[in-house]
Amino acid sequence: MTTQHGRRQLILIALVAVSLLVLIASIRYGAIDFSMTEISRALTSLLPGRPEPTLDQRIFLELRFPRAILCLLVGASLGVGGTLMQALFRNPIVEPGLVGTSSGAAFGSALFFVLGGVFHIGTSLWSLPVAACAGGIISTYLVFLLARPREDGRASIVMLLLTGLAVNALFMSAIGFLSYIARDPQARSITFWSLGTLSGASWKAVEIVALSTILGSIVAVRYAKQLNALMIGEEEATYLGVNVNRLKWIILSVNVVIVAVATAFTGVISFVGLVVPHILRMLGGADNRFLIVGSALTGATLLTLADLIARLSVRPAELPIGIVTSAVGVPVFIFLLRRRQYVF
Amino acid sequence: MRRLIILLFSGLVLFGASCARFHNAPTDSKDARYVVISPIYNEVIWALGAQNTVVGIDLSTTYPPEVKNVQTVGYHRALSAEGILSLHPTAIIHDNNIGPPQVVQQLQQLNIPMKTFTAKNDSCDGAKALIREMGAYFHKESRAEELCNTLDTQRTASLEKVKQYTDHPRVAVIHFGRASNVYLVVGKGSGGDGGGVSQIIELAGGEMAVENTGRGMQRMESPEIIAKANPDVILLTDYGYDRLGGATDQIKALPGVATSNAARDNRIFRIEENVLNYFGPRSGENIAKVAEIIHKK
Amino acid sequence: MLVGRNITFRVGSKDLISDISASFAPGGLHLIVGPNGAGKSTLVKVLARLLHPQSGTVEYEGADVSHATEAELAKRRAVLSQAIEIAFPLTVREVVLMGRYPHFSGRPGPTDEQIVDEVMEHFDVTEFKDRYYQSLSGGERQRVNFARVLAQLWSHSAIDSCRYLFLDEPLTFLDIRHQIDFMKRIRSFTNAADVVTVGVVHDLNLAARFADQILMLDGGRIVANGAPSEVLTPERIRQVFGVEPTMVQTGDAGIHLIFN
Repeated sequence: MTTQHGRRQLILIALVAVSLLVLIASIRYGAIDFSMTEISRALTSLLPGRPEPTLDQRIFLELRFPRAILCLLVGASLGVGGTLMQALFRNPIVEPGLVGTSSGAAFGSALFFVLGGVFHIGTSLWSLPVAACAGGIISTYLVFLLARPREDGRASIVMLLLTGLAVNALFMSAIGFLSYIARDPQARSITFWSLGTLSGASWKAVEIVALSTILGSIVAVRYAKQLNALMIGEEEATYLGVNVNRLKWIILSVNVVIVAVATAFTGVISFVGLVVPHILRMLGGADNRFLIVGSALTGATLLTLADLIARLSVRPAELPIGIVTSAVGVPVFIFLLRRRQYVF
Repeated sequence: MRRLIILLFSGLVLFGASCARFHNAPTDSKDARYVVISPIYNEVIWALGAQNTVVGIDLSTTYPPEVKNVQTVGYHRALSAEGILSLHPTAIIHDNNIGPPQVVQQLQQLNIPMKTFTAKNDSCDGAKALIREMGAYFHKESRAEELCNTLDTQRTASLEKVKQYTDHPRVAVIHFGRASNVYLVVGKGSGGDGGGVSQIIELAGGEMAVENTGRGMQRMESPEIIAKANPDVILLTDYGYDRLGGATDQIKALPGVATSNAARDNRIFRIEENVLNYFGPRSGENIAKVAEIIHKK
Repeated sequence: MLVGRNITFRVGSKDLISDISASFAPGGLHLIVGPNGAGKSTLVKVLARLLHPQSGTVEYEGADVSHATEAELAKRRAVLSQAIEIAFPLTVREVVLMGRYPHFSGRPGPTDEQIVDEVMEHFDVTEFKDRYYQSLSGGERQRVNFARVLAQLWSHSAIDSCRYLFLDEPLTFLDIRHQIDFMKRIRSFTNAADVVTVGVVHDLNLAARFADQILMLDGGRIVANGAPSEVLTPERIRQVFGVEPTMVQTGDAGIHLIFN
């Protein structure tokens, strides 16, 4: 146990180092490249008594820096969301994008925009994530209820993916319907959202997403041991002292909240939650405490890399980030489906 | 270990979040550098000879051909604030059709000067007003007057030419909407800036085949839209036409097209968006151009 | 001492077990037998408090367990079921360590680690400890599960309450050698004075050989309860199981049944 434990500690430390490196790359490179001196000057311009920041420095402080942080946070939430979902459904081929959480959250956000335009509801930055959560909750619970469990309590993965497919289609077409009845400018925003982007990042968004991600992850880690027990079966977990129903509700709620809040600000970004836990398991096994922390770090890193690609490949224009994550995620998904090791 | 990570992140986030208040900042360069996000504005700027001030254009700007030499900042509804600002513009000129909303907010937050011209190019006279307003802005007033005069002369000549045609073909215009990735049909009274499409077709001696449902351009889901209208001529704007490789059979496969008179007589033509979709400096001669195309047998 | 009083468990309108009363003393092996659908598994699950009966009570040392929390119960009650399927790469040691989960929060202590080592040694699975559970054979897996379940009940110091071990058809998927091996290990554990062991098996010969008490169920009711020689009579077996047994006496009062 000690060697496995030690190895995991090492992996986590390495992940922290990698994510810091990637963060630095993210704040340095983009449509505008910032050198380290420019960055430090931008940061010091905030100190009292210094001259006002220049436009470039403001671009760094108000656009680039919050975007880089938001990217880490959203990547972390998606990674943790994937781990929690896989622990909950006891199958490694699920993730929030595949089982409807993301599309439900996007629908909630879209509805919020359309209704906001129609009824002139105050578009406070706090009501948007609430709308997204509501949407995400509805879609996820729908999948959970419809994918009827087998006798051993495990939802058949085929049923799960098919139900997720159906619910995704339902909510994406609902979004399409909204874009049809909405006035033109909003309609185009909605379409654009379904591909995901970090371009709307702001410090306000960072605050809100940081709150949900950090709190959600802390709660998740607290239940890591119980999730481990769940891996050997619901009955077995009960015998080990776990209140399985309560665990399911708590974890499902945490999962929906962290993914929905992230989706509210960035649109639907798929496949991060699928790939990240898989990588972690290959590196250090299936202990959920290790997985949750590791997924947060790995998700943060991978999404930041994807955002770098999105920002650099066609600069000064940008690719929607969902295109990059799908390009990598779909082959991995197919590869996972074909491995004989996984039990259906 | 985990606690340390959480602490680090919280610290970073709190630090960053406290940096939210800023004041006005002067732009860094002295010369005018404009990012212009509007096909008509760009066409006028080039016509006025003021193009050396333009450092960035949007993806939909295609005229004149020289615009290719200028950096594009992406699709006008899918912009990135950083991308635009990397060109260090002194102002962003747009026609109130930019997005996403968050990016517009970011640009406003950074006090980037944004300019929209008040004149609307919804008719030949509107185009002249716009040309004059832009002429004043770019200090090219005399050139602006020249353009207006040319427009008037050419328009008079075109309208004379149009009188020669005896028939009034029913025309359907199909446009490809890049934001929603679908083909759109232009209804009577709408299309482009201020209904330019409809007006130009009518000035050119044609009749808009598709009725206006009040929703501007409609999606082509139902074949009935075109089938009921049964146009004599179908025009596809350049992007949509090229997307199908100009293959007539593929165009005829669009909903409702195959049964129309236009398909039967093979009167399906390509037209540049910048000729048909808005009124601009070349509209005078464009009327004749469009007339020629739609009356082609 | 484990006591069940007038236990009835119903699903919909059907009684799976009705009005069952039985007591199980520590220090011996109690086995429940009966044909399919007799309610054996249901009874064990009720006694282990996975299921709550519609009427009747289950008492652990005189105290009604219906109010005990899962966490608290898990410290002194463990259940060994049929082989479990795990979809994730867990090592053998990780699986066995789960048996100690009720006993620590956060990280496992040195006692827990030590118990895990001892228990793995006891079941000869130490050589597998870093291998993935998924890569083991059926018999090896059940040994690991047995280790995990016993790790849950293992204690070094004397505790003031009984420990309860339930076995819900744990011999399924095992070959004859492993079945007998298992039963022997169970016997050696259940000899402890404070352990109550209640199990369900299908094989009447194994029951005859290893049980101290046999509880025979049929149609959700108790048909017989007592020593193997009392319970496993030819008439009763014929009546309940619908087969014709021939009894053979082996040395030291053992019974062996041959069926036609």
